[in-house]
Amino acid sequence: MLAIYKKELKQYFNSMIGFVFLAFFIAIVGFYTWGYNLAGGIGNFEMTLGSISFLFVLLIPILTMRIIAEENHQKTDQLLFTAPVSPARIVLGKYFSVMTLFSIGVAFISLYPLLISAYGKDVRLAPAYSSIMGFYLLGAAYIAIGTFISSLTESQIIAAVLSFVTMLLSNLLSSVASMLPSDKLAQCIMIAIVWLVICMVAYHMMENATVLIAMSVIGEAAIWIVYFVKSSLYKGLFSNILKCFAISERFNDFSMGVLNYDAVVYYVSIAFLFVFLTIQVVKKKRFN
Amino acid sequence: MIEVENLVKKYGSHAAVDGLSFTVDKGKVVGFLGPNGAGKSTTMNMLTGYIAPTEGRILIDGIDMVEKPEKAKKHIGYLPEIPPLYPDMRVREYLQFVAELKKVPRNDRAEKVNLIMKKTKVDDMSERLIRYLSKGYKQRVGLAAAMMGEPDILILDEPTVGLDPNQIIEMRELIRELSKNHTILLSSHIMQEISAVCDEIIIINNGKMIAKDTPDNLINMIKGTSAIHMVVKGDEDIIKETVENMPDIEKISYDSESEENTLGMTLYSSEDNDIRETLFYAFADKSCPILELHRSDNSLEDVFLALTKDGDNQYIKDDKESEDKEYEEQKDEKQEEDKDNKKIEEEEDLTDVSDI
Repeated sequence: MLAIYKKELKQYFNSMIGFVFLAFFIAIVGFYTWGYNLAGGIGNFEMTLGSISFLFVLLIPILTMRIIAEENHQKTDQLLFTAPVSPARIVLGKYFSVMTLFSIGVAFISLYPLLISAYGKDVRLAPAYSSIMGFYLLGAAYIAIGTFISSLTESQIIAAVLSFVTMLLSNLLSSVASMLPSDKLAQCIMIAIVWLVICMVAYHMMENATVLIAMSVIGEAAIWIVYFVKSSLYKGLFSNILKCFAISERFNDFSMGVLNYDAVVYYVSIAFLFVFLTIQVVKKKRFN
Repeated sequence: MIEVENLVKKYGSHAAVDGLSFTVDKGKVVGFLGPNGAGKSTTMNMLTGYIAPTEGRILIDGIDMVEKPEKAKKHIGYLPEIPPLYPDMRVREYLQFVAELKKVPRNDRAEKVNLIMKKTKVDDMSERLIRYLSKGYKQRVGLAAAMMGEPDILILDEPTVGLDPNQIIEMRELIRELSKNHTILLSSHIMQEISAVCDEIIIINNGKMIAKDTPDNLINMIKGTSAIHMVVKGDEDIIKETVENMPDIEKISYDSESEENTLGMTLYSSEDNDIRETLFYAFADKSCPILELHRSDNSLEDVFLALTKDGDNQYIKDDKESEDKEYEEQKDEKQEEDKDNKKIEEEEDLTDVSDI
């Protein structure tokens, strides 16, 4: 695991991506800090972070796009997966290397609240640092998602675009969800449609028509039976489900200076889940 | 030592490898021969644990690859068809990474890297970026990576593909050198290469094993005959009479052109029958001097073409198996006959008793 970790970290700095990421990250956060806190005269660093959480949508795909896709493309995965190391350790080594790079960036911006407090008397450090923690966890969750997407493909570009779209969607999801009609029938129809899409994706993966028909018929039947038996269940259900996937939404509390334990657990779970899924994808490739 | 039992790999309904069973004994160099798409690389990928078999068992030094992959992988060094190199690393840096990956103890790493670089003759390129290396050097760096961690088995997938003639010779010498203390399984679709370095050859086609034998035996196997070419001086009629009266010769073909007062011919006999001595004495009696006498070998190329052309029809092992089966059937019949006899005897006994 350590070998891979070191190799990845070295490659980040050999290929400039590491430096470019750090420079960009520190500069953007620095610029906003200057705008809000120093020039704007506001002592709340959490507000600054709250307004730049979109930064992840741009930066994380650049960090994670190559992490596994490049190995697949160069066929160097043949070296890694024929070495006496388990796939879990390989994936973890890679994940921790990205996290290390990200941590360096966060360590830099951790100095900013101190900087601000040097110029003001009413700067509260506790909410500032709790928001940095939230920011860090949000990044960890996004990096896990990016790593997962990178493991699905051989092309760095596809990995980058897919990660970008996924993160953008998860960013927009909360506002989209609140715009949808909230009456029971509309919500039920939307769930039914999404279920059909899921069935199509499953069909594409398994190429088994019987499973497709069985899945869609049983699923749709269940959805509509529940609707006719107890339609009150559907009130706002779809919007609520969508909000579960709105990863950046959970950061709002942090940006208001609230240390929200739910969100901490949520981010850590997302990170765990996607690292786990990545390990499964890598393992499954051997059985294709 | 590699043991493979009934290995199957299916992609959808298509079987890339179909029921392969073989063993590679310790210290042997075994060649894996087959046309492109025969399933060589797929088999090697399964042996090294890169992909999992659909069915079957792989034992590496007695360790099951599917059940204990990490332990089994320690015994194997693998050079895939495309050497798994990071173009933006330097040679030494790359080998150090591989050493760490393969859990070479920290204190030995630098020394091992130097040693292996010297063995594979890449030490003069140690500080060069891998992306700028020639194909030959890349191949050797890949081999160096495979040798790292001192595995006792090396699996090399087309180690000489894309190399120039000099590099091929160098690579072959390197493999021969390595064969002194490694078990080696290498694949190729080039015959000379295999016959030059291998103790044993496994020929596969369409994912099935067609033959497994030493190169010499394989050559004999193709016809089951050995051919001798001979030029004799003397009267044509006498020579023809002498040859045609010899008992062990199955077929004779006379050369269409030969020198004046001589006759050239090719004689075919069954493979276990050496007729050279008999020939000598026969012509000595007739006082016709033999000017030339040599065995003409069937080339491995012929064997390969003959075996892989019609695919499954020529499955030599099958023939043996069917013979075995016939034998067993005969055995069974005998046993049944025996049983019948016993029954009759018993019945006779019974009648005897009733008679009394």
